[in-house]
Amino acid sequence: MAALREEEFVALQSLPEGERAPAAGDGVPGPAAGAAAAERPTLCSRQAPSKDACGSMLPGVLSPARPPRSARWPARLPLARRRPRGSEQLVSALHNLTRHVVYRGLTRAEDILSLFPENFHQNLKNLLTKIILENISAWRNEAQASQISLPRLVDMDWRVDIKTSSDSIIRMAVPTCLLQLKIQEDAALCGNNPVVSALTVELSKETLDTMLEGLGRIRDQLSAVANK
Amino acid sequence: QQFSELTEVLFRFLTEPKEVERFLAQLSDFATMNKISLGPLKNIVKSILLVPNGALKRNLSSEQVKADFIALGLSEEKASYFAEQWKVNSPTLTRLAVGQTLMINQLIDMEWKFGVTAGSSELEKVGSIFLQLKLVIKKGSQLENVYVELTLPQFYSFLHEMERVKTSLESFS
Repeated sequence: MAALREEEFVALQSLPEGERAPAAGDGVPGPAAGAAAAERPTLCSRQAPSKDACGSMLPGVLSPARPPRSARWPARLPLARRRPRGSEQLVSALHNLTRHVVYRGLTRAEDILSLFPENFHQNLKNLLTKIILENISAWRNEAQASQISLPRLVDMDWRVDIKTSSDSIIRMAVPTCLLQLKIQEDAALCGNNPVVSALTVELSKETLDTMLEGLGRIRDQLSAVANK
Repeated sequence: QQFSELTEVLFRFLTEPKEVERFLAQLSDFATMNKISLGPLKNIVKSILLVPNGALKRNLSSEQVKADFIALGLSEEKASYFAEQWKVNSPTLTRLAVGQTLMINQLIDMEWKFGVTAGSSELEKVGSIFLQLKLVIKKGSQLENVYVELTLPQFYSFLHEMERVKTSLESFS
């Protein structure tokens, strides 16, 4: 399955990278020609930022979790100033590439290199692969952290109190436990402002014993599964 | 003789306060058996019940209960009988009273399941373990379900903390 469409690879090729011989019409696949081919000569003839600028800026732009629309090409690049629409397509292409790599869990350079078509510019291919490899584990962790789930436990505090009297008994000494759970709603629903709610629960000794029994059973099952 | 039967009925009611109908039925049986009318019997029982309730609140020992009854005019023999019954039943009664004490958001039940995330729309192969807990909490008079998901390290630290709580509670009992 092709990772990206032809146009997207063409858009990727327009990524400036050091000195490159502008090669109008060089190896551009026929069906994808369209607007991309017309753009290429213009883009290639511009002044190109250095490799380092590319490398440092790409990881931020490429984070697959961020939807393409919000990822904007940094304004200091000539690309954005001259051609905002072209940059959107480029960003979207880069985004799709990284998403594909993260989805598949490709970790070897050869796998990533094989995604690019034959006529892709060699150095650009290597540069992109190198940057992707550096960041892939961070992106994977980010994807796992933001996947859909039930509300998650963020923090937990407890306190043991002793009840000394109440309206039904004037003198007593009953220990009880108060547990505060901080629960965060699903990250995807809240966007950038996750709602954290605090729930305070009171447990008597018997309840705690039963709960510990249940938790112990979970632990036994987990170790049984782990040892299989 | 009659008194011991009556005491028995009273204590059965005290240890199971929800069995009101049974209590009333037994009272009316007692009344018919002994040819006492029900009305005055009920009044007597009401006043008798005041003593154990007050005693429970103040954690009175059986001697104190006996002394109270004698002060109220009951014969020595009957008072001692009552005090005996009191000694036997007081653990249950105390436990009931403690159970009635106010509890905030009391945890009633906990259900759990754990499994493995196989894949997601972002990652084709995942293989990470998750644990889901459903806590049933009594808020006021309603039950509320709270769902929480924990990762494996969170579960282990949760278990660790709960064991510390248990040690702490045990040292206070």
